[in-house]
Amino acid sequence: MNMVRLDKQKLNDFIRELSAEYSVYAPGKTNGKTEFIPVESSDEIDFNSHVTDMFPKGIFFPPAEVLFEYDEDGVREAQTSHRPIAVWGMRSCDARSLVMLDRVFGSAIQMPDNKNFQDPYWKEKYDNSLIFGIACNEPLSTCFCNWLGGGPHNRDGMDVFVVDAGDVYLMEPLSDKGIEIINSSSCLTNATGKDEALAVKLASDAESMMTAPLDTGGLGEKLTAIYDEPIWSEISAKCVNCGACTFSCPTCHCFDVQDEGKGKKGKRVRIWDSCMFPIFTMEASGHNPRALSSERVRQRIMHKYSYYPENYGENLCTGCGRCVMVCPVNLDIREVLKRIIAYKEQVI
Amino acid sequence: MNVVNDLRKTIKKLLAEKKIDLFVGWEKGSLPMAATPIFITNEDEADRIVFDITCGNNLSVYFTKDKKQFADKKVGIAVKGCDARSVVLNILEKQIDRANVVMVGVPCHGVLDKKKVLAKTDGREVLELIDGGDTVTLKGNGYELSSDRSEILSSSCLSCIYPDAQEYDIFVGEPRGEVPNENRLKEIKEFEAMSTSEKWASTRAEYEKCIRCYACRNVCPSCYCNVCFVDQNDPAWIGNTCDFTDSMVFHIIRNLHVAGRCVECGACERACPMDINLLLLNRKVAMEVKDRFGDVAGLDINGKPAMVDFREDEKQDFIMG
Repeated sequence: MNMVRLDKQKLNDFIRELSAEYSVYAPGKTNGKTEFIPVESSDEIDFNSHVTDMFPKGIFFPPAEVLFEYDEDGVREAQTSHRPIAVWGMRSCDARSLVMLDRVFGSAIQMPDNKNFQDPYWKEKYDNSLIFGIACNEPLSTCFCNWLGGGPHNRDGMDVFVVDAGDVYLMEPLSDKGIEIINSSSCLTNATGKDEALAVKLASDAESMMTAPLDTGGLGEKLTAIYDEPIWSEISAKCVNCGACTFSCPTCHCFDVQDEGKGKKGKRVRIWDSCMFPIFTMEASGHNPRALSSERVRQRIMHKYSYYPENYGENLCTGCGRCVMVCPVNLDIREVLKRIIAYKEQVI
Repeated sequence: MNVVNDLRKTIKKLLAEKKIDLFVGWEKGSLPMAATPIFITNEDEADRIVFDITCGNNLSVYFTKDKKQFADKKVGIAVKGCDARSVVLNILEKQIDRANVVMVGVPCHGVLDKKKVLAKTDGREVLELIDGGDTVTLKGNGYELSSDRSEILSSSCLSCIYPDAQEYDIFVGEPRGEVPNENRLKEIKEFEAMSTSEKWASTRAEYEKCIRCYACRNVCPSCYCNVCFVDQNDPAWIGNTCDFTDSMVFHIIRNLHVAGRCVECGACERACPMDINLLLLNRKVAMEVKDRFGDVAGLDINGKPAMVDFREDEKQDFIMG
């Protein structure tokens, strides 16, 4: 389907239309930080954010999600909203991160009984969602999506691709759901050939602003080959093993399950966890197979660029650059990848 | 620049004379606003050392982290006034052997707080930062502006009265001396003047931002328990959701665990990805410790930390009511 135009002054009406069927989320400011918040009007949207400080992952995979509740009468489903979710203003890197997570939570894990595991909590939210991506016209210096198969105008994981073209948004529906919502809206007009040419120009301008990509081909095999080599203690030397990188990562998805109960009632909660913490792998015996900082740093890198791609054919990193921005010791993942690729294996 | 050159020469000399096995300092980072820690074992690498407004990390943290990578080594370390207090505190707490550390003091004029810089640039990305002393130049796509140094300094630096290392082996450059700072307690006094419900509301608003990444704990040289209470699950002392009561318990317990041990370096606050005002309560407790026990953490290498000292004449009104 061709592109359509949304006059920016009509964004509020468009959000209202969406709100009839969906709970709408968009970038907004909470305590000075940009994150995805529920919005009812366009006034609440923060339009200045490039990559938001916090990713949209938490909408579909909350930091603490109640799985079920129990009391004397038995076990109950958690009381949550079943309204479908629409997200406005999701950057290409973030839309791709959800595709990556969907492989894990959605359907892809082949269990030993040949069934595919499906996480109902994730599926209900993600499968029914409607995602409006927004192209990056001005990527940041920390962005490296082009190293990892993405790009500032990448369309993966979006139902509708949106380009900010000055006074208007140019929208290109990509999925059936996207086409349906575009057809049913009264806020849109057809885009002109000039509009489409502008969208192409903005894309090539944005791409020219990106740093030259690092060739990450063969990274997984390289990582497997250097698993036991001393490079890991060199890389991790300055890491203080906090969880800032994992908790700012749109693709990190490891979790812990805990029971929070008092007396005869309580709930089971799924909580974001981090492979940087010693307790993540602590065994009941008291033995910790990843006791060292270097082993934990290695695990994070291996999971992203070796284990996950081995299972799903793509790195578990979108190059959003958030971990680069938040690391308190400036342990830059881009530098780590360059170092690993340049590293000469020692013959053992 | 002279300070940096002298620092590099000092490191080369220490390594050449085999007085140290390695030196820990700062080098230029991958981002304009962040220097990054570097561990130097050969003289050539010393030319990578920098010292400017971006050197916010308290490097003393590497003495106490779980890897103990400095164990059995003679270590040289660059120290600002606050960092030196951390080293001294760790010496007093028997985590570091004084004989195994060579402290190189550097004259500190304060380190930056990223959030204040971004407030200056209206959130626009900083692509270049030039530390010109009293003024700092910030450049990005389509803008260049200069800021008074004081406007972008970390809150810990604005309340600092000991910018120089009080304990050191070598001092590079000119010490600044004690800085009179009449307004240093302003923020604490304002907090104290609040009603209980106002205090609760403002504290709650801060801790509600917490995502429990523990960056504050992990960059803190005074936080070095083998197993932190939050990392224990048998028994579990604390819930692990981002419920603010759990977050608040974490922060208040950490606050009390570093009572009389916090050197007010501000590393926790600068490390926080959610911009929580972490220093206020730490500074309030430090002020109480000074008032009641006359102790300033890590200032005096011949002193006794407040937590292991008892004097009959110290204030006991909090016990007696």
